[in-house]
Amino acid sequence: MSIQQYIKNVFNAVKTLLKGMRVTGYYFFHPKEIITQQYPDNRATLKLADRFKGEVVMLHDENNEHACTGCTACELACPNGTIKIITQFDITPDGKKKKALNTFVYHLELCTMCNLCVEACPTGAITMAQNFEHSVYDRKQLTKILNKPGSKIRAGVE
Amino acid sequence: MLNTISFEAIKTAVQQWLNMHWGPHLAFIAECILIGLLVIVFFAVLGLLLVFMERKVSAVMQIRLGPNRVGPKGWLQTSADTLKLMLKEGLTPDGADKFLFNLAPFLIMIAAMLIMVPIAFARNFQIWDINIGVLYISSIASISVIAILMAGWSSNNKYALLGAMRSGAQIISYELSAGVAVITMVMLTQSLSIQDIILSQQNGWWIFKGHIPAIIAFIIFMIAATAETNRAPFDLAEAESELTAGFHTEYSGMKFALFFLAEYINVFIVCAVAAILFFGGWMPFHIGNWEGFNHIMDYIPSSIWFLGKTFCLIFLIMWFRWTFPRLRIDQLLNLEWKYLLPISLANLLLMTIIVVLKWYL
Amino acid sequence: MDSIIFYCIALFILISGLLAVTARHIFRAAIWLLFTLMGIAALYFWMNVFFVAAVQIIIYVGGIVVLIIFSIFLTQQAGQKMAVTSAKQSVFSVAAVLFGIAFIASIIGRFYFVGRSETLNDSVNAIGTQLMSFTNGYALPFELVSLLLLAAMVGSILIAMKHKTENKNN
Repeated sequence: MSIQQYIKNVFNAVKTLLKGMRVTGYYFFHPKEIITQQYPDNRATLKLADRFKGEVVMLHDENNEHACTGCTACELACPNGTIKIITQFDITPDGKKKKALNTFVYHLELCTMCNLCVEACPTGAITMAQNFEHSVYDRKQLTKILNKPGSKIRAGVE
Repeated sequence: MLNTISFEAIKTAVQQWLNMHWGPHLAFIAECILIGLLVIVFFAVLGLLLVFMERKVSAVMQIRLGPNRVGPKGWLQTSADTLKLMLKEGLTPDGADKFLFNLAPFLIMIAAMLIMVPIAFARNFQIWDINIGVLYISSIASISVIAILMAGWSSNNKYALLGAMRSGAQIISYELSAGVAVITMVMLTQSLSIQDIILSQQNGWWIFKGHIPAIIAFIIFMIAATAETNRAPFDLAEAESELTAGFHTEYSGMKFALFFLAEYINVFIVCAVAAILFFGGWMPFHIGNWEGFNHIMDYIPSSIWFLGKTFCLIFLIMWFRWTFPRLRIDQLLNLEWKYLLPISLANLLLMTIIVVLKWYL
Repeated sequence: MDSIIFYCIALFILISGLLAVTARHIFRAAIWLLFTLMGIAALYFWMNVFFVAAVQIIIYVGGIVVLIIFSIFLTQQAGQKMAVTSAKQSVFSVAAVLFGIAFIASIIGRFYFVGRSETLNDSVNAIGTQLMSFTNGYALPFELVSLLLLAAMVGSILIAMKHKTENKNN
């Protein structure tokens, strides 16, 4: 190692160390940068990141109609059997049988929030919600039925 | 002095009162006990304060909030921690060398207390102005290595032993460059006594008067001091991710707390020494012969000057800790033997030339 | 008051010295040796020769005992108790101790402790000038010692150095 290289090493080291200290120093003197959320205290004003996924929900409009055709694409896409779809056959006005959704069973306790079901859905019937307060006293309560009672498929969704 | 309520005034008043009411012998013994109590109380307060400061500083640097639940703004967090540690069981492992295992935390605290002796906290407020102050500090500091080695060995735990070995190698190597940096400054003051060193900075601190070599010595001293106190980025001795906790793996309860406290006391001490050597200890900020300016600076009490400087340096060391990643053992020894030691020796030579030619201010 | 402190320190040195010899754990022996050396430093402090005391601590406590402890760490079976000394060994060691006591006692009996009235100037400046002055000091022994240390350092580097040719053969 030549003398020049040695001196260069020393200067480089000091420079990079100072660069690192500048970053932490900036944060120290700008407390507004703090990102900690004091959760139970700020429950009303809590803001979650857009990418945060809490659970799968089925979208219902004001007429209590959803867009699920009962195609079971989400059930097939799910890597760990979280979704179980029970279908039934509706009779259409022109007398034909048509496959339709009876019960959308969702096992929250098995779900890893991987978003694959939402991506698999051809009609955009399900989506990810940001609710994360899932704690219950009985595990059975985590098995949810996503389609609301009395809901039916929106007209025109195939 | 202008300020009537200073540490010096309190000291003289207490001394007078004791000597007036009791005999000289009894007064002497009472003073000894009083000083001992003061040091212990100071240690406790300092420990609580520095741990809290570290947690807050680290939190803000990592964009977190830090402790904020116990007491107003979390001020009582460290007291609560201490209470918890006191209530915990002080375990001694079955295979440990029980005598040495229990002795080590006390030895490290005794060493820390002894170093406190020559440090001047305010104008004429010092336990003992020993004529070799700086040398005394560096000599007593070497006792704490033994305590660490003792703790590591007697725990009968491989992590503890490895941590102690690393700590020993590290402290012994970095003592060299810290010592050379101190010698560089002692050459300017031409005295080892803390009092003389501070008084020689009456017309400006050495870091300004000694310019280039003093600044280099300061940087080297701070690096070596960080290493000697076993703090990140030199915390190989207690590297959590590889050695669980290093030499104090097996300690719990109050014995662990003593090690923890000793670490922070040592940080305070090295920063106090740096403040004395480079920034004039309790000496206010004076510029040459600007009488008016110097006079205004004298209005700020000397104890505030000393503690302010020391805490600024402590903040600097904390800043190091929460910025830099840990070094590997070979990088650590390379840094010392290939960089710090040659540079500090060359710096010593430079300082010799400057002192001989009287190029300092 | 002064003599009480002296006897306390002396007792401390003697006890820890005795324990250093009789301890059966080698690490404990090293620690007792450390306490002995610290006691001697305390004796120097008691005699008001602060420089010597600080140097005693730096060199013996911070240097030599740490090196001893390190070498203990690096040896195997350091944690085990040493075997009890045999009767033959004990006899000879007692004889050696008695000889040492007799030897020192005879020297003290012949020369005795002579009190000196002159005060010792132990300031670092005085020691430094004395050490480096050519006329009335110790410049020659000082230089000789430094030469000796240099030789030791060169020797240790030579021992620690890797021989490239040997490495290739391996």
